[in-house]
Amino acid sequence: MSAILECESLSKRFGNKPALSDVSLEVARGQIVGLLGPNGSGKSTLIKLANGLLTPSNGKILVGGREPDIETKKIISYLPERTYLNDWMRVHEIIEFFSDFYADFKPEKAYDMLKRLSIDPQDRLKTMSKGTKEKVQLILVMSREADLYLLDEPIGGVDPAARDYILQTILSNYNENGTIIISTHLISDIEKILDYVIFINQGRVALTSSVDDIRDNQGKTVDALFREVFKC
Amino acid sequence: MLAKLLKYEIRATGRTLLPLFLSLLLVAGISRLLFGAGHQKWDVATAISVAVYAAIMAGMFVMTFVVMIQRFYRNLLSDEGYLMFTLPVKPWKHIVSKLLVSMIWIVVSVVVALVSIIIIAYRQGAWTKMVTFSGGWGSSAHFLAFEIIVSALVSLAAGVLLIYASMAIGHLVNRHKVLASFAGFIVLNTLSQIVGQLFRSLLHIVHVNSGNFASTQVLNELAIACAIAFIALLSAAYFALTNHILAKRLNLE
Repeated sequence: MSAILECESLSKRFGNKPALSDVSLEVARGQIVGLLGPNGSGKSTLIKLANGLLTPSNGKILVGGREPDIETKKIISYLPERTYLNDWMRVHEIIEFFSDFYADFKPEKAYDMLKRLSIDPQDRLKTMSKGTKEKVQLILVMSREADLYLLDEPIGGVDPAARDYILQTILSNYNENGTIIISTHLISDIEKILDYVIFINQGRVALTSSVDDIRDNQGKTVDALFREVFKC
Repeated sequence: MLAKLLKYEIRATGRTLLPLFLSLLLVAGISRLLFGAGHQKWDVATAISVAVYAAIMAGMFVMTFVVMIQRFYRNLLSDEGYLMFTLPVKPWKHIVSKLLVSMIWIVVSVVVALVSIIIIAYRQGAWTKMVTFSGGWGSSAHFLAFEIIVSALVSLAAGVLLIYASMAIGHLVNRHKVLASFAGFIVLNTLSQIVGQLFRSLLHIVHVNSGNFASTQVLNELAIACAIAFIALLSAAYFALTNHILAKRLNLE
């Protein structure tokens, strides 16, 4: 089967400022991939390009062999690094919204996760804390049976105790044949679930490797390797 | 998908606008009761109710306008755009759903304003007068009225799409997006005026040349039809521009 995500000499500039420069990579299906890099390295830019929220300055990005369009949007489940939900809806209305637009959305899964996190579906987003909103977004995103999950900083805003729960939620809910790409700089927290890593720095790919290779052949943890590669 | 977008668009805007519409009708009713109760002079109660009525009326039109702009900007070009543009929906459907709902609310606000005026000013026998008055117009007047309604709707669409296109142009710029939107508005509007002037001159030449074999009435109707066609073309151009930017040049911050 073809790669789920491919970049060919992909570049993105904002004005004169390059955010991604000449990125070429392939992500195979059925893996959990860490997109790792310091703040401002271009992680979010890459994910937004895959979602069609940004237009490439040069090069191409392909999802399942297609440039981002309505068909790729059907198979991507995206968790942005910000709150993208309006604040006046109630949680159950947003679930209805997702069910209406995504054929692969499973409302029963969402209600089940809400219950386990003790979030009331009748609550309005306006009254929720930032952390709770992030949990609601993650629940929505993980209640889809997508081919590609793009999670931008899914654990950035929550406390360490909630992190484990969220990682557990991600692991136990994703579509088994799907691919997950998680962007973060909190490596030690997610290291144990990753199959493959992409290190990205100042808009360029610094390293791609399977995690087994790093552990077995180099005898290092991903965290240690990261510190080595990105030494200041 | 368009029907679903429309459903959510109506829900998102109606929650702000419907209470305003209802309160205008309510205050109109109260004013009417106060008048009816013999408060003919400008006593305090009547004065307050009339002032409140005028304020709500003004607020209703301002809010309809603000909601039109805000829904496009906030829902598509700000954080909420992250959700809207990752839905499996073609960008033109977003534009159409927002355009239609804005137009509906603008028309409804005009109707609500008229109804509220009738509530306040209705006198017995007024309808009969209206009917006798319009009955004397004849079929040509009916066609003219039809043309005027169509041209009003087309102009409304053109106005809304002009504002959408301006915001889309503003979105192309990295900084000072609001300023760029205003600049976009001025440029687009000026261009449209120039093209409109050329079109009118052209029409004038045709008009003069055909003056020999067509009656004035037919010519007038034809002139309005041409104007409608022209404004429809302008709307299509604004729409195409907005759609191109949202589909091919999207860069959400």
